[in-house]
Formats: sequence, C-alpha cells, structure tokens
Amino acid sequence: MIQPSMLASRFRRFVATIIDLILTPLLGLLVMLLTGLFESAEAYSSFSTIGIRALTIGVIAYAVLNGWLLHTRGQTVGKAMLGLVIVDNTSGKKASLWKLLLIRMWFFPSLLLLGITPYAIVPFIDHAMIFTPSRRCLHDRICGTSVIKMS
Amino acid sequence: MIHRRYNTLTKLSAMLGLIALTSSASSVANVNCENTKSQPGTQRQYSETWGTSYNGDRHQSSSNTSINSENAQQLKLQWVYGFSTQTPRSYPLVTEDTIFIGDGGYGLVALDKETGCTRWENTDITDIESAIVAEEVDGNTVLIFTGRRSGVYAVDAKNGKQLWFSNPKVHPVPMYSGSPMAYQNKVFVPISSMEIALSFNPFYGCCTTSGGMMALDIRTGEKLWYTPTVENPGSIVTGKHFFLIEKRGPSGAPVWSAPALDIKRNLLYFGSGENYSEPATLTSDAIFAIDAETGEVAWVKQYTANDTYNMACEISADHPNCPSKSGPDLDFGAPPVLSTLKNGKDLIIAGQKSGAVFGIDPDTGETVWSTQFGRGGKLGGVHWGIAVNPELEQAYVPISDLPTSDLPVGENDAPPGPGLYAISSADGSTQWSVTLEKNCEGHSCWPGFSAAITSGPNIIVAGTLDGHLKIYRGTDGKLLWSHNTVVNMETVNQVPAKGGTLDAHGPMLAGNQLIVSSGYGSFGQWGGNALLVFSVEKKVVH
Repeated sequence: MIQPSMLASRFRRFVATIIDLILTPLLGLLVMLLTGLFESAEAYSSFSTIGIRALTIGVIAYAVLNGWLLHTRGQTVGKAMLGLVIVDNTSGKKASLWKLLLIRMWFFPSLLLLGITPYAIVPFIDHAMIFTPSRRCLHDRICGTSVIKMS
Repeated sequence: MIHRRYNTLTKLSAMLGLIALTSSASSVANVNCENTKSQPGTQRQYSETWGTSYNGDRHQSSSNTSINSENAQQLKLQWVYGFSTQTPRSYPLVTEDTIFIGDGGYGLVALDKETGCTRWENTDITDIESAIVAEEVDGNTVLIFTGRRSGVYAVDAKNGKQLWFSNPKVHPVPMYSGSPMAYQNKVFVPISSMEIALSFNPFYGCCTTSGGMMALDIRTGEKLWYTPTVENPGSIVTGKHFFLIEKRGPSGAPVWSAPALDIKRNLLYFGSGENYSEPATLTSDAIFAIDAETGEVAWVKQYTANDTYNMACEISADHPNCPSKSGPDLDFGAPPVLSTLKNGKDLIIAGQKSGAVFGIDPDTGETVWSTQFGRGGKLGGVHWGIAVNPELEQAYVPISDLPTSDLPVGENDAPPGPGLYAISSADGSTQWSVTLEKNCEGHSCWPGFSAAITSGPNIIVAGTLDGHLKIYRGTDGKLLWSHNTVVNMETVNQVPAKGGTLDAHGPMLAGNQLIVSSGYGSFGQWGGNALLVFSVEKKVVH
C-alpha cells in the first residue's frame, strides 16, 4: 500500500514532465528525419493523415526514449533524473509494462484521433488531479498507478 | 428569414463590443430583419466573374452601375455586416435583391441587398476565400465558389443547399485560392499549392507539385481536364539536406488568380507565379493561353525567368528549402484582361508584381508594349488586379510597393511609387497618375493600392492598405470621394465590426451600391471584419 509520505512531490513531478516534454519532441525530430514521414506532400494531404503521422512519430519517440527504462525500472528519463518511479497503486511494485505503454502512452493521443470534441479539456483535468490528496492524475487512475520517490 | 444562433461567448463579446463603440463609430440605422424573404432573386446578376465580365476587365458600364463621376460624392454608408474573420477574403455576387458572400469560418450567406439582413446561410462550408460566381443550370441558378483547402462547391442560389462538392486532388496538397469561373457547362478552377508554406518545415523535401488550371463539369463537379503549369513536377532530385531529405523540382508556378475568357478565340488566359524550387521553368511568372475546351496550351509568355522562391526563404536564405537563388517572387497575381480597342483590335493587358504592365497580342503571346511603375516586390507592384475602361480606352494600374524586408528586389532599385496610374490601353503611355503619401506610422500604415480595383463610368474605385476607399475620376485622376474604413461600426447582424487594411479582391460596383470588405490580417497588416455597403440615391438601372 502506498503511504502518503512515499508520494512524489508535485514540483518534482512537474519538472520531470517538463524534461520529458522537451526530450520526446527532440527525439521526434530525429524519428521524423529517419522515417521521412513528413518529407513528402502526401503527408499533408488531409488533417487525419497529418494527425496519424504525428501521433506515430510521437509514440515511436516516446517508446525509444523511455521504453527500456519503463520496462526495467518503471521510469521515464525525466522521472529517473528526478528520482521518481511509477508503481502499481495496490502492490507498490513496478507497474506492468503493458499498462505503462499501451494505456499511458496511447490512451490520450487516441482520444484526439477519435475526434472526441471535448478532448482539449482532458489534459487539464488529467493534470489538475495532481492536487488531490493521492496526487494521482487521471492517467494514473486509469492505469492503476502512483508516482513515488525512489527509496 | 434565418436567425443566426450565437453561442453565449459570442453574445457576450458582441455586447461588450457594442458598449465599447467609440465616437468614431460609423452609424447605420437599426434594421428590423423579421420580414426578410428567405428566397433571393436571381434574375439580374451584376457580374459574370471575379473580373466582372468574362474578359476580366473589372469594369462596370452604366448599364450595371448608376455610380459615376457626377454622383460619386453623394455616396453614403447604407449598412455594414460584421464578418467572423479578421481577414475576409471572399468577393460577392450581387443580384437584384441579394448579396451572396463568404463569411470567413462561418459560412456562405445571402444578404438582403437593401438591409443587410440574412436571407439564408450555409454554415457547412467554412473556408470560402474566392469570388462567388453563378451560372444557370437546367433552369436553376447555381452558385460556384472555392474553399481554400477543401475544394470546389456548387450550391443552389435559392436556399444555399449544396448541390455538389469536388476536390479532384490533381496533386496531394492543392490550394484553391483563386476564384473560379463558370461558363456554360464548365467551371474553370485555378490551382495553387500548400507547398509554398510546407517548405517552412526543414524536414520537408521541397517541392513536387505544380500550379495549374482545371475544368469541371458544372452539373456534377467531375473533372474534365487539368493543365499543370509545370511538366513532370518533382521529377528531378536537386540535392539532399540532413543527409536523407531529397530536394526536388521543378515545382510551383501556382495560379492563384481568376482566369479571363476569350469567347471569340475560345481561349482561357491566366497568370502564373514563381517556381517553388529549382530548376526554374519557362512557365513561371508567365501568362498562359489555353484552349477552353481541352486545356491544351496555345502559348506561354514568361516575363521573369529564374524566379525560385518559397516561404522558407522568409525564415532565412540559409533554410535548407530556400532555393540557392531566392526570389524575386514576381507572380502574376492580377489576372490578365482581354480588352478590345477602339480600332477593333484585341489586346491582353497584364500587370505583374514587378510593377510592370504589358500589352500582349492574344493570338501570338507577343509583347506589344510594356511600361513600368514604382519598384515592385513580393507584395506588388501590381498585386491583385488592374481595371480597364473600354469606353475611355484606359487601363488603370494600382501600385502597392509595400516595403518588405529585402527590397529592393532584383535589379530594380527604383524608389517606391504607391499610387494609381492611368495608361492608354492601346500603347501603354501614361495619361495621368496619382501618387500617395504615407500619412501615419508603422509597417501596416502604407498608402499603396494592393487590392484589386474596379472601374465604372468615368470613375475608378480603389482601396489603400491604410484602409481608405477612394474614387478617382477616369479622365484626369481627380479624387472625387474618400472614406476611412478603419473605424468601429455598428452592424446589421450585431457582430462588432472594425475596418482595417483594404486588400485582396477589392471593391464592387453593382446598381446604386458600392461594396467592399475591410480588413486583411495577413503579412502584419490591419485585420478587420467589416462588409461595407455604400449607395447613392436609388436610380433604376436596366
């Protein structure tokens, strides 16, 4: 069971998120270059084509950057730098990789592709929930995870 | 009558805007729209194309307008409609009782000509940036126009219902920024390309698409033919950047202006823009003549060679997608005009962003005369359109010469000459000119004429980049009337409106009315959202 004293501070989580938000697009540029997904006019032929290709690049970049760390330690690069780890909320152990990759990584971008109109408000709700006592964002609750300080 | 439904936010902003109206606001009477008929009249149309007539001369004779040099001073603001965009870019179609126009991201609207009240609206089509043109099809009046990114539309003039939509995708990223022309069983559609802007992305391999002209079946929207301005676009790899991304060419030569139709020769004339990437072609910055039935090219006359430019060059000349020789970006944005001289001879008159104007033989494409005004540049020189008055055998040349970051362009280091120039249609000789002085501060404050102009009986109507609509006398260039549109305005549809830069399609003369859209937020200019309708005392025009 996760004790409140084990939870990562909101500030550290914020800084870790910022680090990930900087590193992932930077790697995304490299992925864009290597895959050529935005090199030709066909990539821009419709908004859905642009969206799907952008999502693909983002997912590849995120997976390349964080996949191994998530698998072995339950961390992204940002969380590793700030000494944080994602754990299963009930067992307190490292969360399952499929939850981290398939739900955390795919769920929110997928909403965008599905064309759910109030999507724009979802990230705000997601992040606002960090201010609940359990400091669990919406994506933590969906995955059944918490973010704690490394012991 | 259709009542526009506003969401709460729009209502709130409208109320705040009304409260904020200052003493500079133009005043128009409040109108009760409840008794407005929903069905427009379509028996009488005041224009055939963007160019007013098929020959593209942007001239209204006394049979189409009662505004002239004798009564222009009596023009008064009749009503104002508030657009939903700060860069309105649609040109109206006017009938005996209705003005049809695109309202930015809101849709297509049919407005009562006398009151501005809405007859009907189609809010499904939200990127209209062309002229609205009409043609009779099987006894019904069909409105034709383009959506900048989406494609070509045909709607029923009676109720605004869509009849067909067409986007044949002659290449992956077409841009329908030019106004179409409807004639008999065909719709002629200019084709440009989004690649001009996609080149911004350094991970993009610029460029592989061509401008062109397309013909559609007016009943179905089915493509009949397509004539690209560049053969085999993107077929040559000209280099690589970042080790992997291939630069390609030739490309570009977009067509973003309306064509002119020579019914006697069955030829369609239009102008092209610059190449987006190297190698340059012989078809950029050129005037085309093509067979209106088949699209086969009759002749092409290029006026600026080796002009390669795209928006990447606006970031830096070192941008990987900016051609090694950038610019000077001297499109023909102003459509060519077919004019018949008093001696019966036909002549094409075409103005270029360079500030040059050419008289061209329509049979051969050979240049008969040429003349130069101001210094020209990326935003004109002649930017959107000249006008030709066949009665006076005069062509009117609006010059913008708006300074851009890297002017002077090319080898032309002449001083800017924003103003209006009247020349002989027969030989290009200057008959009179009006040069304009800067009278305020800031980049957007520039007195030049960028918008297309229009002419009427012994008058020329032209709008300046600093928001003043002016009327000059045709015979001598005397200023007859001027109106500052950069003010807050009360509107018929209760959307707070303010005028701004006058650019793009320019004014229209129809019956006893003068119609203009004010505001153009592109290129750092003054946005605005007003459709202004002026009128002189009503007089029956047959």
